[in-house]
Amino acid sequence: MLSRSASKSSRYICKACRSTINASRKRKFGTNSITLNPTSDDIYDVVTVGGGPVGLALLAALKTSPSTSHLKCLLVESQSLAKQKSWSLPPDAYSNRASSITPTNQSFLEAIEAWRHLDLTRVQPYDEMQVWDAGNAASIQFDWSAEAIKYNAPLRTVATMVENSNLSRGLLRRIEDVGAEESLMSGWNVKGIGNGIDDPEGCNLSTWPVLELQQIGSEGSQNTKQIATRLLIGADGINSPVRTFAGINTNGWDYGRHGVVATLQVESSSDPASPFQNSVSNDDFDSALEDFLSDDPKSSSSSSQPNFENITPSNRATAFQRFLPALGGPIAILPLPNNHASLVWSTTPQIASYLKSLSPSAFTATVNAALRLEQVDIQYLFSLPTTISEPNNTTPHESELTWRLQHTKSTLPSRSPPWITALQPNTIASFPLRLRNATSYIAPRIALAGDAAHTIHPLAGQGLNLGLGDAECLSRTIRYAVEHGMDIGDLMALQGYSGERYAAAVRVSTGVDLLNKVYQISSGDGLVGSLLGAARGLGMRAVGMVPGVREAIMRTVD
Amino acid sequence: MNPLRHDFIQSCLRSASSASPNSNDAQNPEATRKYKYLDVGCGGGIFASSAARLPNTVSVTAIDPTSEVIKYLNCAIEELDSHIEGQGKESFDFVTVFEVVEHIDKPAAFLRQALAHLKPGGWLIGSTIARHPMSYLTTKIVAEAPWPIGVVPPGTHDWNKYVNPSEVREWFAHENHELHTRNVETSDNEGRIEAGDKYGVVRVEGCIYLPLLGWKWAGGTAEYGNFFFGVQKLH
Repeated sequence: MLSRSASKSSRYICKACRSTINASRKRKFGTNSITLNPTSDDIYDVVTVGGGPVGLALLAALKTSPSTSHLKCLLVESQSLAKQKSWSLPPDAYSNRASSITPTNQSFLEAIEAWRHLDLTRVQPYDEMQVWDAGNAASIQFDWSAEAIKYNAPLRTVATMVENSNLSRGLLRRIEDVGAEESLMSGWNVKGIGNGIDDPEGCNLSTWPVLELQQIGSEGSQNTKQIATRLLIGADGINSPVRTFAGINTNGWDYGRHGVVATLQVESSSDPASPFQNSVSNDDFDSALEDFLSDDPKSSSSSSQPNFENITPSNRATAFQRFLPALGGPIAILPLPNNHASLVWSTTPQIASYLKSLSPSAFTATVNAALRLEQVDIQYLFSLPTTISEPNNTTPHESELTWRLQHTKSTLPSRSPPWITALQPNTIASFPLRLRNATSYIAPRIALAGDAAHTIHPLAGQGLNLGLGDAECLSRTIRYAVEHGMDIGDLMALQGYSGERYAAAVRVSTGVDLLNKVYQISSGDGLVGSLLGAARGLGMRAVGMVPGVREAIMRTVD
Repeated sequence: MNPLRHDFIQSCLRSASSASPNSNDAQNPEATRKYKYLDVGCGGGIFASSAARLPNTVSVTAIDPTSEVIKYLNCAIEELDSHIEGQGKESFDFVTVFEVVEHIDKPAAFLRQALAHLKPGGWLIGSTIARHPMSYLTTKIVAEAPWPIGVVPPGTHDWNKYVNPSEVREWFAHENHELHTRNVETSDNEGRIEAGDKYGVVRVEGCIYLPLLGWKWAGGTAEYGNFFFGVQKLH
């Protein structure tokens, strides 16, 4: 720390330092004027506001690395982390909040030794994505099969579906593992954030963020606390109070759409009618490989060369996404273990509330329709009343679906989507879709991560992945700063984080936003609409046909 | 440039531990060793304060002869002994001289003074600029140009005072030889002739400033511009 009695002569202050001083002067207090003078017990190195997967992953990473494990950390979360830690569901029920974790993030979670604390019987790696468009006959399949066949290797995972609660619980277990449970402050609210004071007999905390915390459930000023921190991290969601304190604005817009989520049961893959039957099992593949490697002449009756070209490596699961431009957005079916799946359907608010009002069997029929019928047929289903039942208790939705399946035709992708058999009770929910990006992810002694920094459209499943990428980069940035004797809250120390993550977030969110816009034009039925739809189809086919393009796309979201 | 200083110190420590795996250091692995630093010519204290923040630092003594820079300890290396009480000679693990040698009229005498404060096994770590037409271009013509190109006030550097890596190496070899000869001559010190050189191999690493990217390691450019040097006092 620079001497406070440094000369007050007209010394030159460089631009970066000047902006630091001005920025901290500009910062507003939180809700009320706070006299902030915490005791030395309440001065921390790193305080994270927000106990979602991003905040927890950051704490676990800091406590795992030997260079940063000595830092005095605190994580503040208003909900009960004890409840998160004791979360438990039976094997035939799945939470409706599940995310598709990329291999890179899985490696990060393995590196911080959190992955092994997940219930791995509840995660579903998938090897393939089928994407098709209701507006035309194009479809495209994303997988790493070209590489797998080339190298005679098992298929590389595209991504792994993980329930958010499974992830959070795993991270909490890891945090307990490293003895950092006392860093968790759960059930406390952030009442306000301000700057500290310059105590002539003590520390100069005038540039340090100080938080006023209140324990939830207590009124008045009982159970409040003031804490100061060298670095304050906002992992506190789209309406981040930390971001507001830092005076950072956001750009973005509301999509005018809602995402409807639910947990579904799908037909069993051991069913002969199942779409998973046309792939070779892992056992067959392994034995073919063994035969090839052994010198035993009796193997491979016909030729000495096994024909690996004919064996596509076995597919563990497939994710499906069908674009429905006329109906507000895509419908996605993401695989979960034990013949379950996660539904994410981006659509208009009107359709979303209609869907939420349906009975379970009507809902299931509508989802099956959305995967198989023409848009005009699906639209008809939305006009059906929700309460009337026909004889033998079928809903009008089911009858319409049955009839139209027999009498209409639409394109299906190369692997058919699974048949939805049931809806898991009480799992339908919806949330508004928005794009937000903070104008900066850092400020003096502040860093933003996760949804506090950026929120994107769910159609590429990248939101949580961006957040975990933030946690990884921020932990690495803090580690570099500690190893090089820097003040971890110094803007210069944080700049590496901002440079790396801002570019990544803008790339992904712009790409996803553009994709969404492309699939929203031609939402009309007219000539222009169908022409644009055909153009889009050509584009999709082109991506599928030009070698390497598909792999390049997959690599950017790997 | 400050992060590079820490990188260089770490690489010197690593080279020492890999060279002598069976030494005392093996029982006391680097991770738990604690260090005392002497930063000579500390200026505004950028390196000194960053070293003070490291978890394995015991203390940092930072001195600078310029009175406007710091008030606490305002002295030159020659006067240091009178300021450090009760520490005795040879008490620091690291003596650092970053961007200092190129401003000293008599670098040999200065370095001898600095080295006297090093513990056996300690390191002298420094950075300076080589005397080469290229460094004249970068440090005099470009760096001392008027705003917006220049970055330091004109007159900051005197190209004639720059020191080359080869000169640093030669000087330490010469010191080793001198001390060898002296030890052989004064062998009445109870037969305690210290075999081997006093100073280890001089480690040199060049670095370069890239606009928008900052300071980067650039092996092989030590003879043309900025470079780090590190020497271990073996006994």
